[in-house]
Amino acid sequence: MALVQPALKKDDDIDDDSEYSPFYGIEKSAVLQEARCFNDRELDARRCAQVITKLLYLINQGETFTKNEATEVFFATTKLFQSKDIGLRRMVYLMIKEISPSSDEVIIVTSSLMKDMNSKTDLYRANAIRVLCRVTDGGLLGQIERYLKQAVVDKNPVVSSAALVSGIHLYQSNPEIVKRWSNEVQEAVQSKAPLVQFHGLALLHQIRQNDRLALSKLVSNLTRGSVRSPLAQCLLVRYTCQVISESGPNTQTGERPFFDFLESCLRHKTDMVIFEAARAITELNAVTNRELTAAITVLQLFLSSSKPVLRFAAVRTLNKVAMTHPLAVTSCNIDMESLISDQNRSIATLAITTLLKTGNEGSVDRLIKQITNFMSDISDEFKIVVVEAIRSLCLKFPKKYRSLMSFLSNILREEGGFEYKNAIVDSILILIREIPDAKESGLAHLCEFIEDCEFTYLSSQILHLLGNEGPKTADPSKYIRYIYNRVILENPTVRASAVSALAKFGVVVKELRPRILILLQRCLYDNDDEVRDRATLYLSFLTDGPEAVDGDAQAFLFQRLDLPLANLEASLQSYEPSERPFDLAAVPRDVKPQQQVEKKAPTSREKKAAKDASQKAAADGGASNTFEAHEKLLNSIPQFAGFGKLFKSSTPVELTEAETEYAVNLVKHVYSGHIVFQFNCTNTITEQLLENVSVVMEPIEGEDFNQVATKPLASMPCGVPGQAFVAFEKPEGACSLGKFSNTLMFNVKEVDPSTGEPIEGDDGYEDEYQLELSEVSAADYILKTGVSNFRNAWESIDSELERVDEYSLGVRESLQDAVQAVTTILGMQTCEATDVVPSNARSHTCLLAGKFLGDIQVLVRLSVGIDSQKQVAMKLAVRSEDPTVSDIIHEIINS
Amino acid sequence: MILCVLFTNRTGNVLLERFHGLPAEERLHWRSFLVKLTTENLKTARDDEVFVASHKSVFIVYTVIGDICIFAVGKEVYDELALMEVLNAVTASVKEVCRKDPSERLFLEKYGKVCLCLDEIISQGALEHTDKDRIRRLTRLKPLAE
Repeated sequence: MALVQPALKKDDDIDDDSEYSPFYGIEKSAVLQEARCFNDRELDARRCAQVITKLLYLINQGETFTKNEATEVFFATTKLFQSKDIGLRRMVYLMIKEISPSSDEVIIVTSSLMKDMNSKTDLYRANAIRVLCRVTDGGLLGQIERYLKQAVVDKNPVVSSAALVSGIHLYQSNPEIVKRWSNEVQEAVQSKAPLVQFHGLALLHQIRQNDRLALSKLVSNLTRGSVRSPLAQCLLVRYTCQVISESGPNTQTGERPFFDFLESCLRHKTDMVIFEAARAITELNAVTNRELTAAITVLQLFLSSSKPVLRFAAVRTLNKVAMTHPLAVTSCNIDMESLISDQNRSIATLAITTLLKTGNEGSVDRLIKQITNFMSDISDEFKIVVVEAIRSLCLKFPKKYRSLMSFLSNILREEGGFEYKNAIVDSILILIREIPDAKESGLAHLCEFIEDCEFTYLSSQILHLLGNEGPKTADPSKYIRYIYNRVILENPTVRASAVSALAKFGVVVKELRPRILILLQRCLYDNDDEVRDRATLYLSFLTDGPEAVDGDAQAFLFQRLDLPLANLEASLQSYEPSERPFDLAAVPRDVKPQQQVEKKAPTSREKKAAKDASQKAAADGGASNTFEAHEKLLNSIPQFAGFGKLFKSSTPVELTEAETEYAVNLVKHVYSGHIVFQFNCTNTITEQLLENVSVVMEPIEGEDFNQVATKPLASMPCGVPGQAFVAFEKPEGACSLGKFSNTLMFNVKEVDPSTGEPIEGDDGYEDEYQLELSEVSAADYILKTGVSNFRNAWESIDSELERVDEYSLGVRESLQDAVQAVTTILGMQTCEATDVVPSNARSHTCLLAGKFLGDIQVLVRLSVGIDSQKQVAMKLAVRSEDPTVSDIIHEIINS
Repeated sequence: MILCVLFTNRTGNVLLERFHGLPAEERLHWRSFLVKLTTENLKTARDDEVFVASHKSVFIVYTVIGDICIFAVGKEVYDELALMEVLNAVTASVKEVCRKDPSERLFLEKYGKVCLCLDEIISQGALEHTDKDRIRRLTRLKPLAE
C-alpha cells in the first residue's frame, strides 16, 4: 500500500518523477517575489498567468500565507484587471476567490467586479457574480441584489446558473435577501436549460423548505409538468418523498399521494432518475409489498448493469430493504449471487451481506461455499462485515450451526488483524452461548485457535471460557492438553490465565484433580510471579480437602467478585497492615453516586449537564441494564436479600414527562413471592438539593400486594442519578396484577449558588411530586427465552395441555402489523425469524417462546390471516407444562 | 455537498486536491483514507474503469486515466450517481486539457487549466457545469456556441 504524501512533501524527496514536475523545488518566498511582476507597467500576461498557477499550486498544497503576504498578493492581483488578456482575466477571478481577501480589503476589488458584472460580455458577468458573492458581506450584497435578481433570469444559462449557485451559498449567511428572489427563481425553474432548472429547483426548495404548503404546491406543479434535467428530476423525487412523508396516506382511498409520479419515474429514460425513484419507494414509511414490487424489479435489472456505479447503488439499496422486507428481495438472489465475484469488492461485500439476510435455510451451505472463495481477496474491514452477517444468520437458523461454525473456524486459521480475529472469536462465543448444541464443537475450534494465536487478549479470553465451560462437557480431559500447552509456550499473561483455567478443571472434575495437581506443581517454578502466585493459591485450595474444594475454591474461582471495584480499591487503600486480615465482607456494596469533582456556583451550563446526565443515566440504564447488573445491585441491599432468586427485571418505564424538574423511571424486579420497584431518579434543578427521597406507592388495583420494605435515597444533588426502592409481597408463584399511584416525597434544601453547598441553617421543607401511574401486567411474569428447535420443544409438551382459541383483531394495515402488536403485548421471544411476514402472504404463523414465573416453559403458535377488507383473524395455540400458564396467555390477549 | 475532488498519481501521491466544507484538520484523514481504500484496486485498474464505495454516509467514486487517479467524494444529494456526473465532467475535462492518457508530468504542466476546469465544474461544493465543451469555452472566457 502506498503511503500518502502530499506533493509538497514529495518535492522534498528527490525521486525520478519529481524532476519532471514543473513545480519541482517551488518555494513560497520565490513565488511571492515573482508576483511582483503583477505591478509592472507593461504586463506580461503569459508570465502573470504562470505565477498565478504557481500561487494556486502553493495554496492547494496547504501552504499558508501570512496576513501581510496575502494582502500583498491580493493587491497585486487586483492590478491585473488592467490587462485585456482574457485568459489572464479568468485566472484573476479564480485567484481572488482562492485568496479570500478580508472584508476591509474587498472594497479595492468591488468596483472592478461591479463593472464586469454589468459588462456586455456574458462570461465577465457570470464570473464577476461568482467572485463577488464569494468575497462579499451582507452590506454590499444589498447594493448588488438588483443585479443578482436580473442575472437569475438572464437569457444566458451560464449567467443564470452563476447567480443561482451563488444564491444557494448566500442563503446560508443571508437567507432574508435570497428569499426575496423567489419569483425570479421560480421563473428559472421553468428554464429550457437543464442545469439552470437544476440549480433553480435546489434554490427554490431551500427558500421554501420550512413552508410545508408551499413545498407541496411546488411538488404538485412540477410533477405535472416536464422537468428536463435528470438532475433536477432527481431533486424533485427527493422533495416529493419529503411531501409524502409529511402528508400521510389519503384518508379516503388509502392511497399515497404522488405515488403515481414516483412509479412513472421508474420508467424514465435516465438511469439516475430511475434509481432515485426506486430508492425513494423503498424508503417510504410502512411501504407495502405491492408498492415495492416495481421498484425491486428495476433494482434487479441494475444488478446486472455494465456500470459499476449502478450495480453498487442497486445492491446497496437492496441491502437496506433486506433489513425490513427480506422476502421482497429474495427474487434478486440469483443476480446477487453472481455479484459475489464482482471486481469491485464493495459491491461483492454488499451482495454477500444481503444474501445472508435474505437466504433461507436451504441455501446456507451453497452460500458458505461461495463466500469461502471470496474471503481470501477482501480486506479485513469487509471481512468483519461478513463475519457479523454470518453470526446473525447462525442465530436465525440454529440448525445450520455446523457449517457456519466450521466456516468461522476456517477463517480463524487464516491471516488477519486483531479486529478481524476478535470479531470471529466474539461470534463463536455468542454462538456457544446461544446454541447449546454448538458448544462442544465451538470449544474444540477455539482450542485449536489458541495453539497458534498471536493475540494475548484473545488467548486469555478463550482460556477463561474453557475454564468455565470445559469442565461441564462430556469429556473434560481433552481440553487439558490445549491449556497446559499454553503454560509451556506462552507469555506470562496467557500462562496465568491458563493456570486459572486448569484450576477450574481441578475443582469441578474430581477424576482429573490428581493430574491437575501435578501440572499446577510444575507451575510453581514459573519465571513470572503472577503465574507462581496463582499456582500456589490454587494448589492450596485443591489440597485443603474435599469440603474446601467444593466450598471456598469453587466460590473463589467461579463466583463473580460481587463488589464495586471502586469500593474495593478505596478499602484496600485505607487498610493498614496489621494482625487483623483484610476483610472482603467489610467492603461497602452500595454503588456510591459519583461525586461532583468540583463544587462551584451552578450555571446554566450545569443545568444542561444535569439534564444530559439524566439522559445519560437512562442510556446507561440501557447498556448496563443487564439482568446481572440488577441482580448484583439488589443483592447488595439487605432488605431484599431474603427474596430468593430474581426472575426478571423489566425495561425502564418513564414516569415523568421529558424536560421536567425531576426525571424518574421505573424498573420492576419480579421474584417468586415479591416485586421490587426501583425508581431511578435525577434532579435537574441546580438550585436544589433533595434529601430523604422516597416514593409512596398506593395500590389502586391489586389486593394481592402488601408493601414490605422501602429504601429511600439519602441525598439527590443536581445531575447525580440515584435510586429509591419499594418492595411488595405477593402470593408465592402467583401472577398477581395491579396498578399503583406514585408520589415522589422529599425534603428540599436551597443551594448557595456561590459555593454549590446547601445554605447553612436551612432545614429545608417537605415537598412532593406526582408521578405517572405504574402497572404490573402479566407480561412482567414472562421471560423472553428462545428455544433452538421450536418443533421439538413444541412436540415435547403433551398436546392434551394445549389451549387454543380464536380472536378477531379487527382491521389492520397488514399482517406484519398484527403480528408485531401481539408479540409486543405478550413480551415473548420470536423463534426462527417468524416475526417477519412474507410480502404477499394472506396468512402467517409466528412462533413464540418464553419462560413463565417459576421457570415454566411456554410456547405459542400464533396463526393470523387477513381478508380482502383487511380484517385480521388470529388463532392462538399455547402449550405449557402448566395449563394455568396457557390460560394466563389467553387472558392477556383477552384483556 | 461535494466534499472533495482529489487527483493522485498511481502510487497514491497527491497532485491536486479541492475540499469543500471539510475542516482543515479532517482533510489529511480523508486523504489517507481514500488512498488506503483504493490503492489495491487502482494498481491493476484499466483506463476509465470506475470504482465505487461508501463509508458511513459518504460516497466515493473514483477512476483512473493514464497516470492520474481521480476521486470524487460527496454526501446527501451527491450520492454515487450524482457523483458520477461530477466525475464524468472532471474526467472529460482533464482529457480535453491533457489529451487522452495524461502522464503525471503533463497533468502538472496543465495544472492551471485543470484548476480552472474544476472551478467551472464545482462551485463551493455544488455541481455547476457538466458539459466538457462548455467548460472548455468557459475557462477561456469564450462565448457559448449557439
